[in-house]
Amino acid sequence: MITTHDLGKTYGDRTVVANLDLRVPEGCVYGFLGPNGSGKTTTMKMLLSLVRPTTGEIRIMGRPMERSTRRELLGHIGALIETPPSYEHLTGRENMRLVKRLLDLDEGRTTRAVRTVRLQDHLDKRVRDYSLGMRQRLGIAMALAREPRLLILDEPTNGLDPAGIEEIRRLLAQLAGDGTTVMVSSHLLGEIDRTATVLGILGEGRMLFQGTRDQLLARSTPDVLIDTPEPERATALTARWSAYRDGPAVRLPGLDRTGTARVVAHLVHERVDVHGVRRDAQSLEDVFMDLTGGRGL
Amino acid sequence: MIGRAVANEFAKMRRLRVVPVAAAMTVGVVALSCYALAAPGFPESVDDPAERPWQWLLGSMALAVLLVSPVLLAVLASRQVDIEHRGGGWLLSQTSGLTPGALCRAKFAASGAVVVAATLAQSGLVAAIGGLAGITVTFPVGQWLGYTASAVVVNLVLFALHLWLAARTANQLVGLGAGVLGVFAAVSGTGMSTGVAHFLPPWGYYALSVPVDVREAGVVSLDPPYLSVAALGVAGGALFLFATRLFDRREV
Repeated sequence: MITTHDLGKTYGDRTVVANLDLRVPEGCVYGFLGPNGSGKTTTMKMLLSLVRPTTGEIRIMGRPMERSTRRELLGHIGALIETPPSYEHLTGRENMRLVKRLLDLDEGRTTRAVRTVRLQDHLDKRVRDYSLGMRQRLGIAMALAREPRLLILDEPTNGLDPAGIEEIRRLLAQLAGDGTTVMVSSHLLGEIDRTATVLGILGEGRMLFQGTRDQLLARSTPDVLIDTPEPERATALTARWSAYRDGPAVRLPGLDRTGTARVVAHLVHERVDVHGVRRDAQSLEDVFMDLTGGRGL
Repeated sequence: MIGRAVANEFAKMRRLRVVPVAAAMTVGVVALSCYALAAPGFPESVDDPAERPWQWLLGSMALAVLLVSPVLLAVLASRQVDIEHRGGGWLLSQTSGLTPGALCRAKFAASGAVVVAATLAQSGLVAAIGGLAGITVTFPVGQWLGYTASAVVVNLVLFALHLWLAARTANQLVGLGAGVLGVFAAVSGTGMSTGVAHFLPPWGYYALSVPVDVREAGVVSLDPPYLSVAALGVAGGALFLFATRLFDRREV
């Protein structure tokens, strides 16, 4: 659905995005993750042709996104960038009517979009009286009204309470189920971890990882934990593998299978009792922290 | 798409108090113009062609227009554009395929119609009040229409300038400040020579459009530089088009 090649944006001598090769498959929920200031919003704006790339090219639905194709492609793309757009002095219904008229849509589409975000009972309230969650849902309804093939959402859960976040998660899953490709950014992995089928992790404007959740977990080698009644002695004997004590166990970071076998053989040779050897359980957040240098979570 | 965008601009005017602001502009001009009716000797002059009562009223209206319009046009433009700054309307339009420049032009088309209507209403109402006040001498149709057309052009150019200013800077106090300064510029224009007033666009053109002057002998008709006003309209339109096209290149 989206491919970019060597995409980059520079402001003066400050590089915001560099050498970005995005691959967003059709029909997926693409979780675009990265700490604040990592270049997610700039990338999304470049995808929507709101910001001109300094380098590289963008293809959406197989066509280059540029000035000449922009309007036609935007007809198939729904977007919510930064804050949810709305005219506060108007009601939700009047806001939806503006979108309907501007895009020349039929009534059915806006009605379906409003129902999808479950806002139909609040349409006659002025937007200034909406909660943040309702404004977010209205913004998404405005983006959905054109029944887009691609939906680009920039931090749609910002400022929402846990119930609102869960609601957005359910909505994204539902949209993907209906065949819409969704690209959603967040600086909080936990918000889209369970919804996204493909993840892209950005750090300081560069793509650190792109792939599935399992691929992401496989990229990192969890620590080895050795249970022994003599942790002090075992730690001293395995110091060359950077071992250190972790409570009653000995922790060895970055060991592969061969290395693990070598350590165990060494301990047994030195007559240290080994009661158990296991890999530490590692969460996706640990991997994310590892990739982004501990920023953003 | 631009037609639909213009229709949307009319829809956005709801609850924006556009009508009260336009009405204030009209009522303000009409009220100030009516001072002429209360001037000593005016009631006795309504039947005397030599006293030129219509010209008194027209001069009074021209002065009222330059006192009232600059600030209220700034308020009107600010209200139209501020909603885009506050509501993320620029991005909403852009992601719908309507560029910021096109949005500004749609705003000008819709709100410009309100400005034209208010200006025509001012002119019509002052003429009607003159009639009701008992002026029986021949109504100077050409002079009255000439001034009304000039006021429409200057108001539209000034309105376009304020729309551009409001879109360029999110802080709407800048535009309102320019509106207040505009009143001083317009009033100063009345004391300048025609040549100097030409160099104070668009406010100086309010003074250039005034079709009468009060001299020792009484009120006299002038020959306003209609061509200059028309040139202001053309140049203002071209500049507005150019400036709003530049908005399309601006990154958000």
